[in-house]
Amino acid sequence: MVDLTIPPDLTFVILTTITLLAAIMALQAKELIYGAISLAISFIGIAGFFVSLDAPYLAMLQIAVYVGAVVVLILFTIMLVRREEADKVETPEGGEGAAGLWIAGLLAVSIAGVAALAGPNLPTAPPPANLPISQLGPVLAGSYAVPLIILALLLSAALLGALVLAKVDR
Amino acid sequence: MVNLPTTPADVLPFIIAIITSHTFITLVFFPGFVHLLIVVMALTWYERKLLARIQLRIGPLYAGGPGGILQPIADGVKLIFKEVMIPYKADKPLFLGVPLALAFLAALPFAVIPFGQHWVIANLDVGIVFVFAVGSLFPSMILIFAWASNSKYPFLGGLRSLFQQVAYEIPMWISALSVVMLAGSLDLVNIVNAQQKLWFIIPSFLSFVVFFIATMAELERLPFDLPEAEPELVAGWYTESSGAVFMVIFLAVYMKLYMMSSLVTVLFLGGWWGPAFLPQPVWFILKTLVVATFIIIPRGVYPRLRVDLLIKVGWTRLLIIALANVFVTVVLLSTGVLSAWGL
Repeated sequence: MVDLTIPPDLTFVILTTITLLAAIMALQAKELIYGAISLAISFIGIAGFFVSLDAPYLAMLQIAVYVGAVVVLILFTIMLVRREEADKVETPEGGEGAAGLWIAGLLAVSIAGVAALAGPNLPTAPPPANLPISQLGPVLAGSYAVPLIILALLLSAALLGALVLAKVDR
Repeated sequence: MVNLPTTPADVLPFIIAIITSHTFITLVFFPGFVHLLIVVMALTWYERKLLARIQLRIGPLYAGGPGGILQPIADGVKLIFKEVMIPYKADKPLFLGVPLALAFLAALPFAVIPFGQHWVIANLDVGIVFVFAVGSLFPSMILIFAWASNSKYPFLGGLRSLFQQVAYEIPMWISALSVVMLAGSLDLVNIVNAQQKLWFIIPSFLSFVVFFIATMAELERLPFDLPEAEPELVAGWYTESSGAVFMVIFLAVYMKLYMMSSLVTVLFLGGWWGPAFLPQPVWFILKTLVVATFIIIPRGVYPRLRVDLLIKVGWTRLLIIALANVFVTVVLLSTGVLSAWGL
């Protein structure tokens, strides 16, 4: 056997360079579509980080969800919106502040409620490294159920926030 | 383990050690680059010949060998020497780059698809997720290429392709879920090993049907070839491609056909398992070609679906059947009906 593996430090440097450059490109690109493609490359770089951290499953899901679905949605939006419209970004006026406070408050109350109910069952130690995939389900739905619920609450708060921001008064 | 050469005399043994290593052989010869190119070229000839026979024609005949089997080489030479027409105001880097990316993505899953117990390039323990993750990149690539052509027909074809592939990806993943549950592993080698006594087509037949239909839709094969509907869209998302660009896209499309057929073989048809008088990779390729035949045949037989029917079938029928089969699999596994076959 010939050992041709790349040393881990070099992997990290290469991945960081690719991810950061692509992220900068995503923000700076004049053509929106190049921005979306750069974003996809940046996501793939992050998937590379997951691989180098011994989490290949997470890396694959990162690619499938972010590059396969999120970037497709972004591309779709860019292509269906005409170029002149895409350049004008309008921000809604007023009301977001109050709605943000409401959502933040609700989120805090829900998280506190879940944590109080879970009480002593909260996990204290981090999960073992190199967890086999077959053990991922039991760990997530078992000892880590409470953090999972809190994450779900956070995501639904983000969804509500997006709805408030996107709402147009008619 | 061979160290890097330090003296000039060490260089030759070093090179030989690399060339004879398992990684190199699997990557370059089988099931890697050379084998893929040969099979994909043969597949283009096979499809033309098969469709010709269905429609009582003869098909390729004059390009040397029995039945014009050198036709793909003649086509390749012709396409390489043709001029590459790039549409006015097309996005040049994307127009030329995306076809290469498509061909690369179509070949990438073969890194984890096992052609035999030891004929696999990389034995990844999340193999099936890898294949689906790579597969999920196709629609965006196709849409980008269609957009880069800066022309109406490719753009319509690209949008249709996106709709279709996104709609049929979900039933496909869910129907593969019951296979994963039966095998208890995401590793493609383990999935095939679990089928030594019973091919998964039998305990999860519904999954197989859903997966096969979704495969046809992902490959844009008739009756799902709306993205390249000739009467309306000329050639769909690759209307503007010509010469070498068209050749690379053609290669990518047939590479994907081979890739999806071998995936069906791995997940449902017992992979390399078969009577021992033939070696394992031969069984695998035979089964894959049978699957490819069944994917090709409808092209000579069926008309095209309407767009609304296509979306309706994907979201309301296939998804429900796939989900139902997950519950059937749960019942089969929890009642221990399949324990006689070691599942």
